[in-house]
Amino acid sequence: MDMPTTPLETEVESQQDPGPVRAQYADFDGITLESGVFLGPLTVAYETYGTLSPNRDNAVMVLHALSGDAHAAGIDEQGRVGWWDGMIGPGKGIDTDRYFVICSNCLGGCKGTTGPPSTNPATGRPYGRSFPIITIADMVDVQAMLVEHLGIRQLHNVIGGSMGGMQALDWAVRYPDRIKSAVLIATTARLSPQGIAFNWVGRNAIYCDSARGSSSEHDQAQPKTARGLAVARMIGHITYLSEETMEAKFGRKLALRDLNGYRYSLGENGKTEGEFEIESYLEYQGTAFMRRFDEDSYIIITKAIDHFDLESIYGDLTRAMENIAAKMLILSFSSDWLYPKTMSLTIMRALQAVKKDVSFVSLDFPYGHDSFLVKDAMPVLGRIIRGFLNGVSATR
Amino acid sequence: MVSARLVEAPTPFHQFQVGFNIIIDLITPGTRVLDLGCGSGTLLQRLRDEKDVEGCGVELDQEKVVRCIERGIRVISLDLDEGLEGFPDLSYEYVILSRTLQQLMFPERLVREMLRVGSKSIIAFPNYGHWKLTLRHLATGRTPTSSTYPHPWYNTPDIHRLTIKDFRGFVSQIGGKIEKEIFIVDNASRHRLLWPNRRAEWGCCQISAV
Repeated sequence: MDMPTTPLETEVESQQDPGPVRAQYADFDGITLESGVFLGPLTVAYETYGTLSPNRDNAVMVLHALSGDAHAAGIDEQGRVGWWDGMIGPGKGIDTDRYFVICSNCLGGCKGTTGPPSTNPATGRPYGRSFPIITIADMVDVQAMLVEHLGIRQLHNVIGGSMGGMQALDWAVRYPDRIKSAVLIATTARLSPQGIAFNWVGRNAIYCDSARGSSSEHDQAQPKTARGLAVARMIGHITYLSEETMEAKFGRKLALRDLNGYRYSLGENGKTEGEFEIESYLEYQGTAFMRRFDEDSYIIITKAIDHFDLESIYGDLTRAMENIAAKMLILSFSSDWLYPKTMSLTIMRALQAVKKDVSFVSLDFPYGHDSFLVKDAMPVLGRIIRGFLNGVSATR
Repeated sequence: MVSARLVEAPTPFHQFQVGFNIIIDLITPGTRVLDLGCGSGTLLQRLRDEKDVEGCGVELDQEKVVRCIERGIRVISLDLDEGLEGFPDLSYEYVILSRTLQQLMFPERLVREMLRVGSKSIIAFPNYGHWKLTLRHLATGRTPTSSTYPHPWYNTPDIHRLTIKDFRGFVSQIGGKIEKEIFIVDNASRHRLLWPNRRAEWGCCQISAV
């Protein structure tokens, strides 16, 4: 499924409109997963922005979170703006005039990289729930294959938030000579039981969806209308926001009013539409997600997040950190209660214990876990990331 | 109009150049240096450029931390009153606490931590024993202000007022040893000074665990 290469390499002026960004695809024979299972063939969807330097030493790999995809920046052919467009671009935090930026859809995803919606060559049907269990390390291994495929020996930087931050940390631990620096945003070396609990409830919403059985046995012709995934997303969204943001953005405002401005549907039992604005917001987010995401990808990826635990693999977090050679930057948000500051501090202290080059910035944004995606946070985040990336080239 | 926000250092940067010079002179090139309350990284940048040190700053103020990162200075967001948990024993050759001692809630706890984390610690603090302050205190009966203690008592980050003698006693009480003492008088550094407790505006001491 090789697509023609984008005109990025021939691009002269970044000010010129480069046109819509297009996904590219890399094909591999397969990968032996951490579980020992062989998964193949393997396709990786990715996008690139900026130009690779002749020395191939200016590549930055951006790692998306649970619901993200390869479309990180620019506008694609459907007119969609990338999920981190505020950070990636000419003159932005990750400056595409300087850096060659790569973003790939993670293994197990549903946006072009091999995942549950992909066709299982053994059956000729989608993997669905028969897709093998994958780990964060498997996702990173696939990213490393892509980087090698692009002919890049060492990345200038890997950067990611939330699950992407887990991957960035795993990169630093297991590929010490393949990256010069890593930025870990709102992440952890192991998810809290509280986080696992929320993910479990989300998966349960999908499992309990009475309308559908296992999608691997399901008739593909039937459109996906599973509400379970929408509910899972609503639960997720609550955990990504802070109480303060919810109060500021929605308060107790009612969404539904009749023509005279009176409250509508109040007390009408059995009505399923949301009445408060927060409800209609979650409804909107859930429904939109249901349309664009795959429920089996959601299951497999949240499981990978839940099982990520560097401490249990290495017995001790400091031991995991011993091999790290990259310059590290850890960012955490004071309002993030899903991946709280203490988790970032744990990583920072483990790195310090073995005298690694680590910086730690605690940011007072009110937007919760999702702060790194919020527009208002971009100016400060951009300054930090631009400064850090520039500093990596300098000595010490 | 009184602002409740206290973010400015008690002495403007240009006035403390001499203090920075003293600290830089004390530091052996190529060593590891931890600067507690590093502000926006001015001292660490000079130490990197002039002494090739491997520096790291600790700072609470978000904007200053961001400026450190922009300068390519390693920095950690931390409240010094929470101590230096996670910093391994003797992991730095020098730990600096410049113009911050008098602002800590618990100076003893942090200085003990400094002696644990660094082989040597350098502490610069404003001397409240200076004769002008004492005289003003006697004459007016009020808490005086000066270039070293510029804020009135009711709105100041300088919550402790200490003298050179106070500091000497404190260091021996916590089991430390003063290795070097340098004073600032009229914006000049003095390695020897008669009656420093009355004449020095600033004290700058290198201390270590006994």
